[in-house]
Amino acid sequence: MAAVAAAVVTPTRMELLRLRRRVGLAQRGHDLLREKMDALVIEFFEVLRRIRDARVGALKQLSVAYRALSTCSAAMGTIETQQASKEARHELEVEVSARYIMGIAVPTLEVEKVERSALARGYSLHTTSSLLDEASREFEKALGLLVELAELEESARAIARELEKTKRRVNALEYLVIPRLKATLKFIMMRLDEMERENFLRLKRIKAMLEARA
Amino acid sequence: MNIDRVLKFELARLNVHLPEQRISLRDALSSKRPGVKVRDGGIHAFKRGELDFLAKTIPEVDWGRLYLPILIALDPKLGRGAARITGEAEARAISQILGKKGKEELLIYRPEVAIIRRKLPTTTQYFFVPG
Repeated sequence: MAAVAAAVVTPTRMELLRLRRRVGLAQRGHDLLREKMDALVIEFFEVLRRIRDARVGALKQLSVAYRALSTCSAAMGTIETQQASKEARHELEVEVSARYIMGIAVPTLEVEKVERSALARGYSLHTTSSLLDEASREFEKALGLLVELAELEESARAIARELEKTKRRVNALEYLVIPRLKATLKFIMMRLDEMERENFLRLKRIKAMLEARA
Repeated sequence: MNIDRVLKFELARLNVHLPEQRISLRDALSSKRPGVKVRDGGIHAFKRGELDFLAKTIPEVDWGRLYLPILIALDPKLGRGAARITGEAEARAISQILGKKGKEELLIYRPEVAIIRRKLPTTTQYFFVPG
């Protein structure tokens, strides 16, 4: 390491001061990035916990909804149920905005009203059974949960990407940049000390020579 | 050297998610789409449920004094994992949620930060204090 440092830097006081400043900056950057990494880890685990809960809830609700649909198909007939589903309105208003976690934009999805009234669904009420209303209601509930799950999964992905990037930078600073800078700093300090010792010896020798001459 | 430039850029980028101007809880509650403009130009939205939760947590007198988002200041000088909440109303609200005592400034630690972020994900934000 010292040989590398010797080849690159000139051992002067100016260089020493410049290097000290750079070590300070790298240390400060490392501390702040490590704080950011810690905060990202908190966020990531929190989102994972919420994903786990949301997934369990969504799967449970979907299972209830599919059971209701099976009952409806059995009572009304498959073709009639499919026909009613084609007649139903498929639009859902989702408000997509962003929230920022340490510079990462994660989506925030807010649905005004997922559950609609039987009239708002759009299929004919005369030709369909109340079981279809029941199945629709269960699916609408599931949709609300799936929207929430989608928001969380996208958040987790974005946080994980940023976490990976930050971790790489923290490691580069901790194991590469700072040790290299410190090694160079040490090399310069040792070289300057050596030069000082040489100078001192030179002066001593000159003094001895002058004394011997006199 | 390039590393210095990259580092300076990274440090400058750390706080770009902070708002240009914070708004009071009262304004946020009366707004149709509550949110603030952040430094990099985007809009950070607050969830209505969180605003209602905060409104229930603190007395109505403080609604105009509590500014959102509440900043969780991470300062390396405080030590790893420690954070500071500044502002009287903000510290009061957070201490009430955590069941702690705090006046003008509140010092919290990593598990408490996690609790706060769990309860208030959109109405709180991290702030990295440069040394």
